[in-house]
Amino acid sequence: MEYYCRLGDGHLIKMTKEDMKNSIEAGTNDAAERGEIPALTDDEQEFLLDIMCNPQKNVSVEPGNEIVVTHDIGTIRIDGDQGNSGVGIPVSRLAGILIHERAFGTDTMELGHIDYSFKPVKPIIFQEQQTVERVNLLATILVLYGAMPNLGLYYYPDGPFNNPSERFQAGDVAGALEAQEKAAEHAHRDMVYIMKNLWDVGCEGVNFDTTAAAGDADFYATLMATEELKRDTGLVVEMGMAAENVIGIHGSIEYKGMRLAGLYPHEQVKVAEKAGVDVFGPVVNTNTSRDMAWNMARAVTFVKACVEASDIPIHVNMGMGVGGTPMFETPATDMVTRASKAMAEVAKVDGI
Amino acid sequence: MNIEIGGDSMGKEELLKAVEDALIKLDEGALMKACDDALAGGVEPLEIIEKALTNAMTTIGDLFEKGKMFLPQIMVAADIMKKATAKLEEKIPADQKPEKLGTYVIGTVEGDVHDIGKGVVATLLKVNGFDVYDVGRDTPLQNFVDKAKEVNADIVGASALMTTTMVGQKELIELLKKEGLTCKTMIGGAAPTARWAEKIGADAYAENATEAVEVAKKLVGAE
Repeated sequence: MEYYCRLGDGHLIKMTKEDMKNSIEAGTNDAAERGEIPALTDDEQEFLLDIMCNPQKNVSVEPGNEIVVTHDIGTIRIDGDQGNSGVGIPVSRLAGILIHERAFGTDTMELGHIDYSFKPVKPIIFQEQQTVERVNLLATILVLYGAMPNLGLYYYPDGPFNNPSERFQAGDVAGALEAQEKAAEHAHRDMVYIMKNLWDVGCEGVNFDTTAAAGDADFYATLMATEELKRDTGLVVEMGMAAENVIGIHGSIEYKGMRLAGLYPHEQVKVAEKAGVDVFGPVVNTNTSRDMAWNMARAVTFVKACVEASDIPIHVNMGMGVGGTPMFETPATDMVTRASKAMAEVAKVDGI
Repeated sequence: MNIEIGGDSMGKEELLKAVEDALIKLDEGALMKACDDALAGGVEPLEIIEKALTNAMTTIGDLFEKGKMFLPQIMVAADIMKKATAKLEEKIPADQKPEKLGTYVIGTVEGDVHDIGKGVVATLLKVNGFDVYDVGRDTPLQNFVDKAKEVNADIVGASALMTTTMVGQKELIELLKKEGLTCKTMIGGAAPTARWAEKIGADAYAENATEAVEVAKKLVGAE
């Protein structure tokens, strides 16, 4: 007998139970070997196998296992239509938040702008202040302000510093490292400037989304910004990562004695805690060439280790290409619900 | 054949292993000494390059992919490997000197400003022996074609992070064909997949930077 499954790119495939079992074992072992963490137990692998082989199109958690659901860029997902995600219904960001709160049952929400990096918020900070005020007057749920640290915007041609990629290719390692250190200082300053201005008008929290996308210096800038914001404001800080491993583009940057390059989710969360992060969002990337049994087992293994190591709530990132979800504009609900159940009941995350 | 090193007798495999280990440890002094020992032990210089040094770079690529080694260290590895290779090449007859693996033109397609992943791939290709021409990010497709013609590229690689820009990879492949170029094509980035590569007629897809090096080597017949 064969069961429906998907590849990491969303393509529908059929697999036998035995193939599925082997994929789950290989996926969890891959995570265990890379992260130097325990693989899923036989019982957990069996549970994942049951989820994957469930004959229903969609699955759900058992009553009592429900968890918090937070949306990030969702404010503009209803209005936006960039040819990929987004449904192109003309509503404001405020209406987007209210729709998520009152119609979709979202537990917390995020206000973001269309460019979605912190740096471009600086010139429009007063408009963002107005929007935050207006949102807070109408929304009941916690609304975070969110954007990407995006250190890439501080390098040539988008910013004032040398592009590390160019410096590396030219053999100028020292120049590449210096550029990252300077860029991190500026990104730290910008994130603090923006969030302090929003705190002044009543913003309740910040979501640093895709932290470390530009490597360990990107992570460092965000940790430094978190530390300062926790010291000087009452903002709640959620930190979502960009990948399961912090890519070492600098390689030797440390935060409070811990080298940031190469950290996996269970290590990332401990650094985030030291900076004062309140909610941590691990990311595990989907391999588009492997099946979803492999991807889901791998993602759950990393996230479970992160949950166990953490002293703060874990809201796993799930969606297009992360968290055991296929890399597809609108991921199919069969795999989204399976991954959600696995994250809630095996990894035991606090939220999604 | 065995050679006496510090009173110990080392066989060929051990001599090659010493070269490999020294490069993985980024120890320039030890690497140069291990190369001297291997040469003194009768190991052919080309064999030292093709086995020990190449194996070491493969291991270094794996360590990078697993987050156990970082970009600056890879650059150091490339630098000391270059010095060791130069030293070994002096001992190789002119007609047997190893050639560059191939010429690679790489860039991020027009409309897409992401260049960090592409930059990592370009760096790894370079340290693994490719002549790399990085045409940058948000690059007009014609620039890929012009550079490929200028340098007689073996491979053209196009990156795209977003579903909205990956269509540029398809248009690039069509443009390369239209202009009569016969070079191989590779695609990568966050949104593209192996299925997309197949659909648009690309010769190969790579999931990450380390895989990109392996795939590129295969495309030029180096593996």
